[in-house]
Amino acid sequence: MEFTDFSLIQALRSDANPDEAIRYLYRTQFRMTAAYIKQNSGTEEDAEDIFQEVVLVFIEILKKDKFRGESSISTFLYSLTRNIWLNELNKRGKSRLRDEKFEKGKGTTDMDVSHLIADREVKSQLMDIVDKLGETCKKILMAFYFENRAIKEILQNLNYENEQVVRNKKYKCLKQLEQMITGQPNLVKNLKSIL
Amino acid sequence: MNENSTHTELLIQYLDGELQGEDLDNVKKIIEENASAREELENLRLAKEASKSYGMKTRIGSLHAEMMQELKTPQTGLTRKIFQYSLRIAAVIIVLFGLSEVYQYITATPEKLFSENYRAFDLHQTRGSSTTSLEDLYEKGDMANLIQEYNQLKSPQAEDCFLAGDAYLHTHRPAEAIEAYTRLEQINKTNNTHFFEEDVEYFLALGYLANNEPKKALPLFEKIHADPGHPYHTAVSAWFIIKVKKSVPRP
Repeated sequence: MEFTDFSLIQALRSDANPDEAIRYLYRTQFRMTAAYIKQNSGTEEDAEDIFQEVVLVFIEILKKDKFRGESSISTFLYSLTRNIWLNELNKRGKSRLRDEKFEKGKGTTDMDVSHLIADREVKSQLMDIVDKLGETCKKILMAFYFENRAIKEILQNLNYENEQVVRNKKYKCLKQLEQMITGQPNLVKNLKSIL
Repeated sequence: MNENSTHTELLIQYLDGELQGEDLDNVKKIIEENASAREELENLRLAKEASKSYGMKTRIGSLHAEMMQELKTPQTGLTRKIFQYSLRIAAVIIVLFGLSEVYQYITATPEKLFSENYRAFDLHQTRGSSTTSLEDLYEKGDMANLIQEYNQLKSPQAEDCFLAGDAYLHTHRPAEAIEAYTRLEQINKTNNTHFFEEDVEYFLALGYLANNEPKKALPLFEKIHADPGHPYHTAVSAWFIIKVKKSVPRP
């Protein structure tokens, strides 16, 4: 399946199934990311991890309408990759100047996207909290809020007695997650500014 | 259910867009009047957004595994092996070709260069409706009789000289071939004609090679190589010129 930049953005931004659009991103953009990472002290494994994160960050930027379309998707992803990887190198204690060989002049425009990825750490902590929820809770909350499935559909997949039981379970799970999050006041404070 | 939990349930329903009419108005009123309800709503909204983000992260994670497999398959599977194997074969061919060329250069002698490049002249290129006896003999490949008849001619024409020259080359008598070709050049010069002019340049040069006189052959080959419009231009490559130069005995 082929996409233009416009149709790709539409597909990734919408709440409908974005799988084909994500696959397209991988097919068309991963090798560029891998080349950049590997030329800048990274391994193939680093490239895979960073690209996974770049895709996630890009989709979230789209969903928040923060992508202004001033560059092509390819250029924008390159900038995201570069920023995220340099942050990662800094975290690992490597010198940014020493390690970055892939400077400007490679046919891509360097963009300042640092403000768009500043919340990565906060989001990462939040994901760690969700990860601690029980598997059933995660399934119900993701099915309802991410996949936009009706309670009736969730009932069929999870073998509960009736819709009300699913509804109650969803209520308890969301409340539990809310309490887990509010258990970390600093995180809540940071989250409210980014979500 | 206590008041808080009732609020929570209503707030979640509000967050999910499930309330209508009077219920919706009541929740809006609670949110407006109750600070803790407002805060709880914000925190529930965080939990909802976290669930969505987690869903996206999980989905990308699952597609990531699938796509890595797809993207790596051509690089790690049969295709890669075939590609690497083909590269090795190509490298071997290039090396062998290079070695062969080096061998040819090292072993280049005038006689060898002649043998590798001499091809009998194609008479059909010039033949008219009437034929001479020499042409017939040439056509039949009867070089011995052709030479015999040529030698009996009192005033051979340009074509007779050319055919005789080729017959001599064919029968490994290069000195006499050179003589026949030179005679043809003299006829052209005397009569101000240009019969077989370019053919003679090439075959005379070959004759010099066959006669172990590469130094005389070289300027003729260089002239042909320098002229893209020459009918024998493609037969005289730069590499061939190098080999002819190499075959010239050093003083």
